[in-house]
Amino acid sequence: MIPASPISPRHLPHRPLRRATGAGIGIAIALLVALLLVAILMAARDGTPTRISPGTILSLLRMTLVQASLTTILSLIIGIALAWALDRLRFPGRSLLVGLFASAIVTPGMVVAFGVLAVWGRAGWINGGLMALGLPRIEFPVFGLAGIVFAHVILDAAFCARILLGRLEAIPEGRLKTGRSLGLSPLQRFRLIDWPAIRGTLPGLGAIVFLLAFTSFPIVLMLGGGPANQTFEVAIYSAVRLDFDLRGAVILALIQIALCGTIIIGASALAPIPAAISGGRDAQLWPEAGMARLLQWLVLALGALGFGLPLLSVLVDGLTQGLPALLARPQFWQAMLTSMAIGLVSAALTLALALGLGMGRAAMGSRIGRLAVTAPAYAYLAVPAVVLSLGFFLLVRQAGIAPGLAAPVVVVIANALLALPFAIATLGPPLTAIAERQGRLIRSLGLSGTLQWLRVEWPLLGRDTGLVFALAFCFSLGDLGVVALFGTQDFQTLPLLMLRALGAYRTNDAAAIAAVMLMGTIIAFVVLPRLAERLVHARA
Amino acid sequence: MLVLEDLRFGYGRDALPYRFSMTAPRGAVTAISGASGSGKSTLLDLIAGFLTPEAGRLTMDGVDLVPLPPEARPLSILFQSDALFDHLSAEQNVALGLPRARQGERETIRAALGEVGLGHLDARKAAALSGGERQRVALARTLLRDRPLLLLDEPFSALDDETRGSVRALVQRLTIERNWATLLVSHNRDDVEAIAKRRYRLSERVLAED
Repeated sequence: MIPASPISPRHLPHRPLRRATGAGIGIAIALLVALLLVAILMAARDGTPTRISPGTILSLLRMTLVQASLTTILSLIIGIALAWALDRLRFPGRSLLVGLFASAIVTPGMVVAFGVLAVWGRAGWINGGLMALGLPRIEFPVFGLAGIVFAHVILDAAFCARILLGRLEAIPEGRLKTGRSLGLSPLQRFRLIDWPAIRGTLPGLGAIVFLLAFTSFPIVLMLGGGPANQTFEVAIYSAVRLDFDLRGAVILALIQIALCGTIIIGASALAPIPAAISGGRDAQLWPEAGMARLLQWLVLALGALGFGLPLLSVLVDGLTQGLPALLARPQFWQAMLTSMAIGLVSAALTLALALGLGMGRAAMGSRIGRLAVTAPAYAYLAVPAVVLSLGFFLLVRQAGIAPGLAAPVVVVIANALLALPFAIATLGPPLTAIAERQGRLIRSLGLSGTLQWLRVEWPLLGRDTGLVFALAFCFSLGDLGVVALFGTQDFQTLPLLMLRALGAYRTNDAAAIAAVMLMGTIIAFVVLPRLAERLVHARA
Repeated sequence: MLVLEDLRFGYGRDALPYRFSMTAPRGAVTAISGASGSGKSTLLDLIAGFLTPEAGRLTMDGVDLVPLPPEARPLSILFQSDALFDHLSAEQNVALGLPRARQGERETIRAALGEVGLGHLDARKAAALSGGERQRVALARTLLRDRPLLLLDEPFSALDDETRGSVRALVQRLTIERNWATLLVSHNRDDVEAIAKRRYRLSERVLAED
């Protein structure tokens, strides 16, 4: 009999344990989503008065939509320009710059916000330089809408540039050779070769950037400058922690879930974005000269300065001003240990869940089965960190457990779930591809599930596994959204310690914490995937 | 005439270099064959200017090609795939063979398409064309460029037998009519025997007459 679809159970290795594990994890996650939603809905039925009026909701909606739209448009335009320049130019340190852009997705928002203030703020580097030259100080609009959009664009344009560069580097060599031999001008080359390669990615990429900006928390909290520039996330946090208006928070959370869900359903119809990007082309087949080259260097210099300067200021200010004093504080070491422990445990949990779901999905013989296994994990894209945290907060309260007691477990689970969609997007497709392409061979050789992992999957996925661990660790290390509602004096992570230092005007402490977080993020993002790759080679 | 005199190229310092010596006269198809990985594409990249030789001479009608960038060399290239821009129509693809100021000359473009038997497909997107039609459109573009050297990189590999025969015949006819020096890189013996007047074989990094 001819199989009805390309996925035929006969072609796949027989793995009942993997299917059961995947289905079990999927069901457990779906149940947790349902429990959190029920907890939020039950709290919404509470008749206590709330300060949240329809006018407040409209104002929040307007502000959130405006900043997310501006962020998306600017990030895509700047991302295209940066990717174009990086694709054309070759220089020492290029791969380091590309790696830095790739790390934008995991760079903590509050570190960037702090960097923006350190460079462009009233007492920042720019004004320091102007005053040293005897020139008057300039008031850059670092607070409010302009500051929020600027900080978002720093991160998101770099992220867009890395994704789009991957697309440009995937253009077949034959197409470039044909174009060059035809003598296409730089403009014709962009129109005929580059644009068709990247345009399919733009709607999906735009949707991701929009969602990231729409659900942004730390940047808006630090640079918002007041209630007029709040997003839903910050308003929910304020309602719980500052106004003790739990019903108001729940109403806002439900609206936020509905809006994010709508965006995700819309985005799911668009072309997917590759989660993992392989190495690019080393040689430049078609360098450009004249004005085009000049423009490429200009774009690259502005982009590197825009992205690199705030991060550099965080490192320089943090390491030179506040670090010695910070290292002497017991609270710092406690927060550091907590952050590391939570980061490592939640990253391990993310990896275990993603592998369980990915392997279960790959072992399924039907498309519906595959969709059903991983769909609950993607549900968390629609539940931003603060909303997820609120759901857990309500659930723990309803269960009669003190939030402080449940905090470590809840923060680990919440962080793991928030990183899970990215982890599945990275590991799921290659696991499925291995099962489909090599399933018959694996089956004919009679390899067990363990041998399949050790001999086939791990050697091929070692680097991706390290990347997922690094992503999850970095997300957790920089998370403020979840811990903001659960943190206590006894349980605080580095981002929470930094927020409290800023609230108490201990700027030097905050600078040093930001520097430590940035170094931790970069080291983890660079080292962990390479470590996993070395482990693979060591075994081989 | 295309002339290669002990043209040398190696990937990396320690690699044994490729050595190419050959001539390809005008008005005839010259074939290069060899096993996969024998260096056929390296040879084409050297002639087209995508690689720079370490030593030796490369001339076309007496003009040294080595200092010229790819876009300034007197040649057209036709690959097995990626010869056309899929999102453009057949006409728009062919127009790229003309200088920028003349790319609006529709009659010239249609005449070229007509010459390869595709006058009726001018508005169709390249993505919607069959393998044989795509190669014909690419050949129509080379007609407009009218460069004296035509490089063909496995141009018939993706075609069925019938289409293969007709495209092969078209290449041979255009080569003779336009007096091009056509260099055909192919691992297919039938293609080589059908249209090549002169044959070379790449083996153990050295090009020698077959």
